[in-house]
Amino acid sequence: MFVTLSKLELKDNCPLEDKGAPKLCMKALPGEGAERSCAFDGARVVLMPVTDAAHLVHGPIACAGNSWDNRGAKSSGPELFRRGLTTDLVEMDIVYGGENKLTQAIIEVANKHKPKAVFVYATCVSALIGDDLEAACQKAQPHVSVPVIPVNAPGFMGDKNIGNRISGEVLFRHVIGTAEPEKTYKPAINFIGEYNIAGDLWGIQPSLDALGIHLQACISGDARFDDLRTAHRAQLNILVCSKSLTNLAKQMERKWGIPYIEGSFYGIHDTSHTLRAIARAFDDPGLMKRAEAHICEQEAKIRQIIEPYQKRLAGKRAVLFTGGVKTWSMVTTLKELGIEVLAGGTQNSTPEDFLRMKALMDPSAEIIEDTSAAGFLTLIEEKRPDLIVAGGKIKYTAHKTRTPFLDINHGRNLPYAGYQGMVTFAQAVSRTVFSPVWELMRQPFPPVGGEQA
Amino acid sequence: MKNSVSLAERHYTGNPQKNSPALGATMAYMGVDGLLALLHGSQGCSTFIRLQLSRHFKEPIPLNSTALLEETAIFGGWEHLKKGIAKAADKFKPRIIGVMSSGLTETFGDDMNSAWASLLQERPDLAATPVVLAQTPDYIGSLQEGYLRAVLALLETLASEPAPREAKTVALFPGAHFSPADVEELKEILDLFGFEPLSLPDISTSLDGHDELEPAPVVQGGISLSDIRRLPGCKAAFSFGPSMTGVGAALEKRHGVAHHQVDSLTGLEAVDAFILKLAELSEKPIPEKLLRQRSRLLDTMADYHDQLGTKRVVLALEADLLVALTGSLTEVGAIVQGALTASPLGLQAMPPGIPVAVGDLEHLEDIAAGSHLVIGNSNARQVAGPKKIPHLRAGLPVFDRVGIPQKVWVGYRGTQQFLIDVLNTMAK
Repeated sequence: MFVTLSKLELKDNCPLEDKGAPKLCMKALPGEGAERSCAFDGARVVLMPVTDAAHLVHGPIACAGNSWDNRGAKSSGPELFRRGLTTDLVEMDIVYGGENKLTQAIIEVANKHKPKAVFVYATCVSALIGDDLEAACQKAQPHVSVPVIPVNAPGFMGDKNIGNRISGEVLFRHVIGTAEPEKTYKPAINFIGEYNIAGDLWGIQPSLDALGIHLQACISGDARFDDLRTAHRAQLNILVCSKSLTNLAKQMERKWGIPYIEGSFYGIHDTSHTLRAIARAFDDPGLMKRAEAHICEQEAKIRQIIEPYQKRLAGKRAVLFTGGVKTWSMVTTLKELGIEVLAGGTQNSTPEDFLRMKALMDPSAEIIEDTSAAGFLTLIEEKRPDLIVAGGKIKYTAHKTRTPFLDINHGRNLPYAGYQGMVTFAQAVSRTVFSPVWELMRQPFPPVGGEQA
Repeated sequence: MKNSVSLAERHYTGNPQKNSPALGATMAYMGVDGLLALLHGSQGCSTFIRLQLSRHFKEPIPLNSTALLEETAIFGGWEHLKKGIAKAADKFKPRIIGVMSSGLTETFGDDMNSAWASLLQERPDLAATPVVLAQTPDYIGSLQEGYLRAVLALLETLASEPAPREAKTVALFPGAHFSPADVEELKEILDLFGFEPLSLPDISTSLDGHDELEPAPVVQGGISLSDIRRLPGCKAAFSFGPSMTGVGAALEKRHGVAHHQVDSLTGLEAVDAFILKLAELSEKPIPEKLLRQRSRLLDTMADYHDQLGTKRVVLALEADLLVALTGSLTEVGAIVQGALTASPLGLQAMPPGIPVAVGDLEHLEDIAAGSHLVIGNSNARQVAGPKKIPHLRAGLPVFDRVGIPQKVWVGYRGTQQFLIDVLNTMAK
């Protein structure tokens, strides 16, 4: 059920000391029931929030049909990214190849929807039948006035992380640095790996405004394609979703000399910490002073608001079951509410995420190895937590255990990032932990053994 | 009236209403007790299905994957399938394993039967766990095709042996458009005539959103294996939805169970025909309860004939549901302005005179202008919202309205509910 970190079986190309790209560290076994996703999904997680681009999936219906418009990335303007577009390969295409259909589709999509760019995604089947994605895009390009960008991350290439990484390469090679901004700002930063789930970005923005920091590009939450092209004019990158796009941050550092730092905006501590780190990176005494004043003011304000929640929640025990940055950042956030984390499990994190999470947790806390529904149920049975914090995939299974459950992933409706997000989070946690529903669910009916008067 | 909608020809699908066949197969498997579904494909295939079905039914979906990776694109996934079945059997101890293929494994041509046969030689102990194999390539059809193939595979694998003839059992094969509560309603109608209904699949006890006593990684509720084995002994069989004809026909051909095809169970005349057939089979009068329901339905039709009559409706649904709802709408004088189906399977049963075509939700945008009502899944909100047309949720996925698993649109009571839903949606 559990493993100690030293016993984690890592694939040989996945050494702990390499701070580089994301890794596929524990392979899923056939039939095991690990609820993970694929490289194609990983690529779309990164690129799909680009709001004014068309996202065309080259494959049979499963890849786009079962999954379009299923993530909570929000837009403040264009809605084109919500549209499901696919070549919908049918049997004859499988036999004769789908390349020409794809070229035609790109041209038609561009004509009809007037996107700022067309991202074209390969899938397992189109890759397997040997359709040349790059060639089809090139063939369509002269007929289309906006960039046509191939994204070659078919599902069988591996887990979500691999797809994240490939889309980082795509952005670096085809998008960033392809246009100059009308005006340059200093200080200007990019976020990398912030997808504006439920409007998270908009919870961070007020702090940037208060500090006078310009957000050059958010990669890729609420992004406009033209803003992404000018991302190379920022002076600092903030890697928000832990490791998924480290490769992009590194490439940008190499090519344009933009340093990067890691950060998280979940919880008071991490938000302040990240703002401080940004100010420090610019080495600007004025900015640092503004940052301290803002942090001081916000922390005092937020702590006052969440105090009643904290008091009620103190001593509650949680199990955390999530991925990426949230593995460790959520531990801190829950601790700020007085909640102890009993065990953590993660599906798409790196060994570094594990180590970080482990360091933050109680020494007796455990890392969940078996991320299947069965493993999850055994864990809950053993730990009997007061709260489960996890993604939507496990939500309905969690309900069967009659344990308060909070959705932390892309299916949620509420933004948890930034100072204001902490208040929203505290309220959401309290709402579920103290919901009378769980107790009603736990009571046997009809009442047993002498409880009837 | 023209009998087809003319749609601009294009090389892409925009805002698909299609779901993958493997998703349909998963739905069918979810109606079988103790079953663990195993998708032979890459991990994303099963994750997408799990999410899509979960956000529709608000229930966990026990679906595992053979987790194919790059090397399988070169060497095939045959060994992975064997490992997957063995692992699923050992770890989760399901009563049945329901396998379905994906676009990936069908493209490299993995022979699932030989993989299972080969595994049985290595692990004879696994013979105790029946394995059902359904071929559901992503590139042939939609949800209905996969559902049909899984139901056929269940029937052919688990009910191949003859069973003793029973006087009161009736086999029911509800289509993929039946909600859990629809299946329950259907079973209750059979009960009223004194029949024992055996529904394959039976999602009314597994996807109905009940608070299970023991959470488990396999299907909880649904038809049992022993009841599936009784199907060849049934007195009669009914298939619901034109796409399901082949299932009842297969049972009839193999075991001589008289098969009755019911294209629609929504709409007064459609339900009448079914009820009369049950009265004839049971040699009993129509139960008072049903007559009362019929009378209420007629009363609603009279009360609101003016609000329903000549209202123009556009629909985008899989064919079985399309046939059922368009029949009921035209019966009350509404006008179907255009109907779009995800795939042609079952379309032959469309009532005559209705303009219909295979199309997506971008096509729906093209034909929706001037209509009073859009009927489609939640994704159709991208059509209805900007055009400010009332939108009644139907089909799959529906993720922005609650109570979908409890919605009854079959039988007299269900037809009345459908008309009420139509009226209330237009009233908003």
